[in-house]
Amino acid sequence: MPGDVTGALLKHATPETRDILRDMYGLNDSLTTQYVLYMKNTLTGEFGKSVTVQPGIDVGEVIWPKLMNTLVLVGTGTVISILVGVYFGREAAWRRGKPFDKVSGSFFLVFYCMPTFLFALVLLMLAAHYFPTWPVKGDVGDNYANLDLLGKLADRIQHLLLPVSALVVETIATFSIITRSSLIDVLTEDYMTTAVAKGLKSRRVLKGHAMPNAMPAVVTVVAINVGWVLSGSIMIEIIFSYPGLGYLTWEAVQGRDWFLLQAAFMLEIFAVLIANFVADMMLFKLDPRVKA
Amino acid sequence: MILSTSGTHGQHKARTFINTQRREKITLFQKNMKRIWKQFRENKAGMVGLVILGVFVAMAIFAPWLSRYDDPKSIVNDNPTFDSPTWDFWFGTDFFGRDVYSLTMYGARVALIVGFAASALSMGLGTAIGVTSGYLGRFSDEVLMRFTDFFLVIPWFPLMIVIAALMGPSLFNVIIVIGITSWPSTARIVRAQVLTVRERAFIERARSVGAGGGWIIRKHILPVIFPLIFANTILLIANSIFSESFLDFFGLGDPSVISWGVMLEEAYGYGAFNAFAWWVILAPGACIVILIMGFYLVGDALDEVMNPKLRKR
Repeated sequence: MPGDVTGALLKHATPETRDILRDMYGLNDSLTTQYVLYMKNTLTGEFGKSVTVQPGIDVGEVIWPKLMNTLVLVGTGTVISILVGVYFGREAAWRRGKPFDKVSGSFFLVFYCMPTFLFALVLLMLAAHYFPTWPVKGDVGDNYANLDLLGKLADRIQHLLLPVSALVVETIATFSIITRSSLIDVLTEDYMTTAVAKGLKSRRVLKGHAMPNAMPAVVTVVAINVGWVLSGSIMIEIIFSYPGLGYLTWEAVQGRDWFLLQAAFMLEIFAVLIANFVADMMLFKLDPRVKA
Repeated sequence: MILSTSGTHGQHKARTFINTQRREKITLFQKNMKRIWKQFRENKAGMVGLVILGVFVAMAIFAPWLSRYDDPKSIVNDNPTFDSPTWDFWFGTDFFGRDVYSLTMYGARVALIVGFAASALSMGLGTAIGVTSGYLGRFSDEVLMRFTDFFLVIPWFPLMIVIAALMGPSLFNVIIVIGITSWPSTARIVRAQVLTVRERAFIERARSVGAGGGWIIRKHILPVIFPLIFANTILLIANSIFSESFLDFFGLGDPSVISWGVMLEEAYGYGAFNAFAWWVILAPGACIVILIMGFYLVGDALDEVMNPKLRKR
């Protein structure tokens, strides 16, 4: 059977040795027994030990530093892309059909259609060619430990720049397209004509009447897209060898490290759930009509 | 068409009636298609997309004639390796000295096959679950929708890595993986539509003259929600091609076929990036982006033509 942890750990072991190992990990028990045990351990915060990625280390300890790295990458990426994406989407919708809309629209369409890993690859290639000294791999440089606090910070930022820009450009495209289309839906409503007819300045129509009505839709779609952003960040982490949760997932799959994989997977699902929860909370604030 | 040979006069009359009805349906269908086509033609972006799709379909069909080698994946020893575009090699050569142009032509096949097959699978699953859930309602609805929610919140990329790694690399498995990770959004859309259609008067009328659940779904619900599903399918194909390219890139696809994702993976693996061999990446990369864009433009235009009031994205 593919995906047996013993196969990854001991490539040339005899069946007897494997059986002992399987016994040790409890893999010879029935599936129900294994599942009940897994649930019990998970609920008590016991995720087991990593098998191949960092053998013998607690899964929690392996994941924690990686989680921080991913949070920094995805966090900065998401915040920047929401701000910039909503801005561009708003301006494009406001100037619908004008040159600004056409240029930014086709620009973002290209990046919307481009798989995240492809753009990351292109960035990697350009950086390696034109700035050979620029670090393209990992999260910190070789002599990170010898730097002072400011140097450490600069080093990290330098390493983050490429992955973050790869993530940001892709995500900005998605968010600006969403904002534009939901804002255009609002701008064609009758009450927009009314607002203009009663003499409101055009910018105030946009800020006071159009944006509040478009935001709930934007927030909902952005929340749904967090799963997408997370997936994109995994591709980026793999390409830039950035030691985050995504890279860890990748290593765990390659090494058939099931315990690590289970925990990483659960964490990723958790992140999506939290994002949806936050979005629901924001909807209450943004749209008084929404009631529990 | 088997007409009555021994039937009574009454049966014959009934058949003629059904036949007339069918003919009317066909004319109505043709009329609708003409109207849709006329509106679609006025959508510039949609037409651009259609042309793009036409080019790629032609590329996939005529790949053996367009290609300059019978088997572009086999290695020709006296070809230069990592050669930039020349008259002999229009898009340059890769690490093994293979013609990137010929490989790119063949790549369209896998992209389109996976795109269509995976979205057909995903469409089938999504529609079946959405219709069942929306039509039956109550308990089945609850169960099916929680099941759908479960799949909706799982980040699809790690799930795909895990499934693909478990099932092993083959083209068939790639299609299955993409199909079973992309149906939840379809199920949601279909269900929402079925819920509104179900309450309409003509469904009640059909039920009152004795139509069963299966008949109502097939004859009354599916035709109404079809336009919506159709535009969604086209967008789904774009997503499937997207997924296929990265599954291949991360070595989870079938390494024995020629696909743009595999080409990119090999370029990455054999140091095209350090050598600044941009031509190895340009052709497959541009093809992926342009093909996805073609489907996206067509899907978006169809969406606008078929569901002018239902644009929900």
